[in-house]
Amino acid sequence: MACEFNLNFLKELEQEAVLEVLHRDQMVRKTEEERIRKLKLQLQQLRWKGARNVSHEYQERSCARCQKSLGLLMNRGAVCNGCSHRVCSECRVCLNPCLWKCTVCYAHGDVKVKAGEWFFEERAKKYPGEANILHFLTLGISHLQELGQSKSFNKSVENLFLSLTTHIKKISKSQNDMADRHLLTTGYGQNVERRKQRRSQSDTAINITSRVFILLYTVSNWNQVKPACSFCRGVETHTKILVLSSSLLHCEGSLYSLNSTCTDSGNFGKANITGEIEFAIRYIFKACVLEICIKGCKNLAYGEEKKKKCNPYVKVYLLPDKSPRSKWKTAVKKSTVDPEFNETLKYKIEYSQLESRQLQISVWHAGSLKYRVFLGEVVIPLAAWNFEENSMQLFSWYQLKPKLEKHEEDLIQYGGELLVSARLTVPAQCKNFQFEGMKCSKISNLAELSLFLGSCLTLPDQAEVKRKSPVLKKEACPQWKHLFVFDGVTPAQLQQSCLHLTVWDQSVFSSSDYFLGGAKLGATGKHCHLKTAQWSLSPLSSQRVNKGFGFNI
Amino acid sequence: MTDGDYDYLIKLLALGDSGVGKTTFLYRYTDNKFNPKFITTVGIDFREKRVVYNSRGANGSPGKTFKVHLQLWDTAGQERFRSLTTAFFRDAMGFLLMFDLTSQQSFLNVRNWMSQLQANAYCENPDIVLIGNKADLSDQREVNERQAKDLADKYGIPYFETSAATGQNVEKAVDTLLDLIMKRMEQCVDKTQASDTANGGSSGKLEPAKPEEKKCAC
Repeated sequence: MACEFNLNFLKELEQEAVLEVLHRDQMVRKTEEERIRKLKLQLQQLRWKGARNVSHEYQERSCARCQKSLGLLMNRGAVCNGCSHRVCSECRVCLNPCLWKCTVCYAHGDVKVKAGEWFFEERAKKYPGEANILHFLTLGISHLQELGQSKSFNKSVENLFLSLTTHIKKISKSQNDMADRHLLTTGYGQNVERRKQRRSQSDTAINITSRVFILLYTVSNWNQVKPACSFCRGVETHTKILVLSSSLLHCEGSLYSLNSTCTDSGNFGKANITGEIEFAIRYIFKACVLEICIKGCKNLAYGEEKKKKCNPYVKVYLLPDKSPRSKWKTAVKKSTVDPEFNETLKYKIEYSQLESRQLQISVWHAGSLKYRVFLGEVVIPLAAWNFEENSMQLFSWYQLKPKLEKHEEDLIQYGGELLVSARLTVPAQCKNFQFEGMKCSKISNLAELSLFLGSCLTLPDQAEVKRKSPVLKKEACPQWKHLFVFDGVTPAQLQQSCLHLTVWDQSVFSSSDYFLGGAKLGATGKHCHLKTAQWSLSPLSSQRVNKGFGFNI
Repeated sequence: MTDGDYDYLIKLLALGDSGVGKTTFLYRYTDNKFNPKFITTVGIDFREKRVVYNSRGANGSPGKTFKVHLQLWDTAGQERFRSLTTAFFRDAMGFLLMFDLTSQQSFLNVRNWMSQLQANAYCENPDIVLIGNKADLSDQREVNERQAKDLADKYGIPYFETSAATGQNVEKAVDTLLDLIMKRMEQCVDKTQASDTANGGSSGKLEPAKPEEKKCAC
């Protein structure tokens, strides 16, 4: 017994040692991230320098990079293969005697090399669909680090643990071959189990650390984690669990468009994309407001080419949020391809949130009835935008581009947080989930909604137990304090089960409730994966339930 | 140590049987010191070193110099840590596969490590150098150079006999690996650049270019 204790003790130290290494690695990664961010910012500024000149390019021949005017015969410039802009001889970088690029295209490639993207691309070939897993992992560690000193260490680590689990679930969902993957059980897992069984130790930090450690290492091992199993252990301790950011309010755009009058579901037409749009962006730090001032457009394509008709208007989304809350439209200008709008759109949003957002500014033609024609768009990732620099706040012309598919994919979605605690009452063989409340501090307009929670426990035999919480109306930070009780679930079943927690906006006219987001806890394998799609509180969103998840630590 | 003033972050990883001298090898490389004591590595560890890399032009002409931040991962050779250490393989860009020249068994296990690498590294054929360590203990030697060289040739990787105790070939082995990685990086970038331009309707014919070769005023 004494021997065993010693062994366990040693292993705990080992786990600490490894965690310490991971922390150090986290610092290296942070430095690297910061470096890459700076590189990208520099690139953006270089781009910006050129972009401001785009407006003149068509009238007077000038270099797109240094704005020097070009002659007709002498020094007439040449078109860059990368960006199709005409640049002068000074703004080129020769790669070899036959190949050159303009300074911006060259810098773009250079940043890619220096950020080590080749490596991630190569790796993605071998492990598709796994891009961000280590990123999440390290995020998790930093989270751990920050919380290490605080009193609520235990809880926080528990939180981290669960949120990581949810991450993994999310990622694993994107992979359909999860069933083939097995969990490598190692000495660590058994060790913890044994210790837990003894129950002699209180829920000390090191205890939890070891649990997190298993998770961390399993993540990086890219084996499927068995969260349900670890989950049970967590349950025993009656710890509060914070489900981090069930992506409230940001689900698939099509979901929203069904409810919104926006054009995505409307009558579409296509036009050739030409022309430019002029606008300015600034962030008012004091008021936490993002302001977009749309000045006007020029050289737009005709919405209806044959009739030479164009009634343009501008629509703005703050992606990834495609809900009506994020949508702004200018007035429609009649019969012009050079409209002037001079409208200012405002978003109330915290600065820290901007990083994960993209500004999508699109121009549309409003035809008769609901006929809409897409005339081009500009998408600006706000992460690389330097709001503190004054020159970035000036009006500038942007070339309109055709629609990009899925630009929101690489954004981390954040929708709010759900705070839950879970308890497994063993003698009675039942499992209780108590919802202590929910924080949605970063979501605007939540106060106008009538929210309720749905929970669905999917058992190994694919049976589903559904529960619904009461509806809370018009609360910015709703607190349900609702207890979901799932009776007759054995711990063994629990290991194979998964629990979906979803947040819904109750529709006044009942038939279709509005899916806002959800989180999935625990579970292994394909059962619940397949089942998600069939589970529906609302017929409209049933197909989308499992796509609406987004997580953020 | 970790300020962001560098051009590339390159992650290398040392692997091999327990006791072949991975930790001392890395210690010699980063700190130029030798610690003869055997302290088994717990799971994983890493050391860092900032080096300057000179890219040579295609015709041997001196190219640009870069500041490279090396993160050298040290792994436990012990079997019980195996599932943990292999998890870190996928994050490394190059590998120092080490064995002990005084232990035939550690040499025989190189084959196993190679298959571990194939399964867990970022790609099927990552950059590897084979390192026979403890070359200074010539009287206890069990693996002869011919054997090791043949094996390395079979895998198509460079082979070095090093000694962490004397420092022999230590730097050379790491530099060679770094060189391989930088070459691969250039190739990867060229490939994407080539396809970029091809898509853009390039007129010029594409030769294997060096992206790092600098400006000329044409």
